[in-house]
Amino acid sequence: MAKKIYWCKNCLNMSTRNRISFDERGWCNACQWMEEKKTLDWTPRLEELKALTNKYRSKDGGFDCIVPVSGGKDGSYVAYMLKHKFGMNPLAVTVRPALSLALGDQNLKNFIDSGYDHIHLSPNTKAMQKLNKFGFIEKGFPYYGWLIAIKAAVLKTALKFDIPLVFYGEDGEVEYGGSTESKNRSHVDVEYVKRIYFEGGYEKVFKKVFEEGEISDSELYFFNFPTDEELNGKEIIHAHWSYFENWDSYRNYVIAKEHCNLLEKEEGNTGTFTNFSQNDQALYNLHVYLMYLKYGFGRATQDAGIEIRRGAMDREQALNLVRMYDNSYPEEYIELYLNYYDMTLAEFNNVLDKYANTDLFEKVDGKWEPKFSPGEEFTI
Amino acid sequence: MKIAIVDYGMGNIKSLESILKHLGAPEVNYTKNPESLFSSDKVILPGVGSFGEAIDNIEKRGLRAIIEELAIERKKTFLGICLGMQIMANSSEEAPDKKGLGLIQGNLTRFPHSKLTKVPHVGFNQVEFGNDSTLFKGLSSGCDFYFTHSFKLTNNSNIQKGICRYGEEFIAAFEQENLFGTQFHPELSQQNGLALMDNFLRAKQC
Amino acid sequence: MLRKRVIFTLIYNDGNFIQSRNFRHQKVGNIKWLENNYKFQKISYSLDELIIINASKENKNTQDFSNCVSKLVEKVFIPVCAGGGITSMKDAEVLFNKGADKIILNTALYSNPELVKSLSLKYGAQSIIASIDYKKINNKYCVYINNGEDNIELPLDEYINHINKLNVGEIYLNSIDKDGTGFGYDLSPLSFIQNKITTPLIIAGGAGNSSHLIEGLSHESVSAVATANLFNFVGDGLPKARREMIALGVNLAKWEEYSKE
Repeated sequence: MAKKIYWCKNCLNMSTRNRISFDERGWCNACQWMEEKKTLDWTPRLEELKALTNKYRSKDGGFDCIVPVSGGKDGSYVAYMLKHKFGMNPLAVTVRPALSLALGDQNLKNFIDSGYDHIHLSPNTKAMQKLNKFGFIEKGFPYYGWLIAIKAAVLKTALKFDIPLVFYGEDGEVEYGGSTESKNRSHVDVEYVKRIYFEGGYEKVFKKVFEEGEISDSELYFFNFPTDEELNGKEIIHAHWSYFENWDSYRNYVIAKEHCNLLEKEEGNTGTFTNFSQNDQALYNLHVYLMYLKYGFGRATQDAGIEIRRGAMDREQALNLVRMYDNSYPEEYIELYLNYYDMTLAEFNNVLDKYANTDLFEKVDGKWEPKFSPGEEFTI
Repeated sequence: MKIAIVDYGMGNIKSLESILKHLGAPEVNYTKNPESLFSSDKVILPGVGSFGEAIDNIEKRGLRAIIEELAIERKKTFLGICLGMQIMANSSEEAPDKKGLGLIQGNLTRFPHSKLTKVPHVGFNQVEFGNDSTLFKGLSSGCDFYFTHSFKLTNNSNIQKGICRYGEEFIAAFEQENLFGTQFHPELSQQNGLALMDNFLRAKQC
Repeated sequence: MLRKRVIFTLIYNDGNFIQSRNFRHQKVGNIKWLENNYKFQKISYSLDELIIINASKENKNTQDFSNCVSKLVEKVFIPVCAGGGITSMKDAEVLFNKGADKIILNTALYSNPELVKSLSLKYGAQSIIASIDYKKINNKYCVYINNGEDNIELPLDEYINHINKLNVGEIYLNSIDKDGTGFGYDLSPLSFIQNKITTPLIIAGGAGNSSHLIEGLSHESVSAVATANLFNFVGDGLPKARREMIALGVNLAKWEEYSKE
């Protein structure tokens, strides 16, 4: 049956994106939300935030909230706001990624030095590698293990430190064009996280990994969500800052630069025209390339969407950049990947091939090339 | 056809050479050598800077007499651009004690400063001209050319002129037999300038 | 009637062209990249002027820079202004010889005003653009020199008075806060400086798309808008922006279609 592939009329989000929806104008839900935010009365949400922070603010100098950070602009911004505008005492938590980059390490150090207490969690390396590799091969998610840990390990830490309030940055589903389920919810629960972020694959992955019998339960400590028993009736509030305040990642960059000494890469990142975000781990390039092969849009499309929605660029301008940068094989760190996954280049490329959507792409001279022109509706 | 650009040490020669090359001018010489100048078919007098310094430079190189001969006796097709055009006149307020080349009648005065017409006059502005112009052949009257100057030419004679308005009217270009002048820079005026320079190259020699 | 102008600014750093954001540099590509993605020969027909600034922080390498200027001048028939790091008459002479029609000065305006006066005398006021970089801090306009690193004691309005005495041709007013952000121009200082500025004014810093350019040009005291946003205007961005602006009636120069027979 013929299927139409099309792009948002305002930004360049593709119809292939999971859980995306479009209105009668052809605007995607991320752009509709952007419009809504312009006239949204933020006061009640701000009041909610004040009430929340007032309720949990420490009275004895202890930590009263957790902010998961990578050293990048978003976590830094949230931590900064909680500390300096809401009088909280945040504990910043980083789950160490598998292949961390020097610039990321430097930015994390700069962030900490700018005045934040911090815990650096290193989940079991072997377990991380197995989960990442499994995720890469079986799901096309090259840092699947880390994606689990940034939720599970953080929530576990919240539980252990008895800090019930966790502030993540943006709700990516709402801000960038996914499920709008949580648009009007200040926080979500563990069930939602498992369902939406892990696309239902969480249990499957664990089962598979156990079946292979190579990791023990204790090695998976930081990858397991707190059980009901462990929670023992306690609530952990998994909140998104983007619910309480208009999420503006460029603003976050400016604040992080000015107050947390955030540094940028000297050149643009692979696959895009920006140099100031996602500088913490090498696997990100691979992650976005897989996204490109699966769905037809890459990092440049994502970044362009952000620029369009914040009024810095228009769709036509963005198309030029998408054409230039989206299709970017992650050449930069290929040796690191092969070494990490213990794979040959051929094996590695075979995995990539598995995920290339052949309705959208064809191989030309050994490279996957789009059959489509970004922005131009076509039928498969 | 040999084009000579007079070298008196002032002017953006690169842009001129570039546009002439683009238009296919076969031979272009940037020179102050009398033989070279005399043997050329057409002459361009460039110029960026101040009237006083231009005249001083011309004098120092003994070019006054040569230019007079080129323009008057030998009737070479002669184009003065910007400051080059200005020094073809009699005098300028910019340097009252200096004598212009006097190839055409006229004097230069400073633009009066006002809030709406700031000095210098910088940017593209429209030039109006008559149907029988050589320089503007094929172009529509009122098309845009690039100006950058603080002094303007006024002239009471019946010299064929292109007019521009900046606060008041002034002479943007003139044509008198073999003598041509543009206050604006054709080499910086995009397609309009290309057309004009092409017309200059094709202009019949006297 | 004098037209308003759209100027493209290229920021050069040690062989590469740069996307600047609040004066932090992202290397984009060298002159080959520019040639492939900007095809200046074609796009220049959508521009009124080109400015090329040497913003190298350590080694200004004027030789390489001026060679770059030379290459760019060859391809276009519009005014080209070059500068950045001009500290002597010789520096200026090199740039003019390489094909620049104007030069742009920044730090020298403050640290060597005699040089500026000499340059103005020799090349004419119209050949000199005075560039001012500023930040708005607590509603005060603070001026910076040396690639935006050093704050000087003179606030913006006093600095303009100082510059007026140097006999320059135009002022290029650049907002460091807005630079590269795509937030649009900072029009806030215009109301209180417009009566102090005696020369044409070019504003810069923050343009991301044509609506910003249009907004800038709609201000009475603005003669020209400049953008250095390499990414946003890549490809056909500039020609499209100009067509849109002309269609909306913005007072810009038009050039007849010209082709050599």
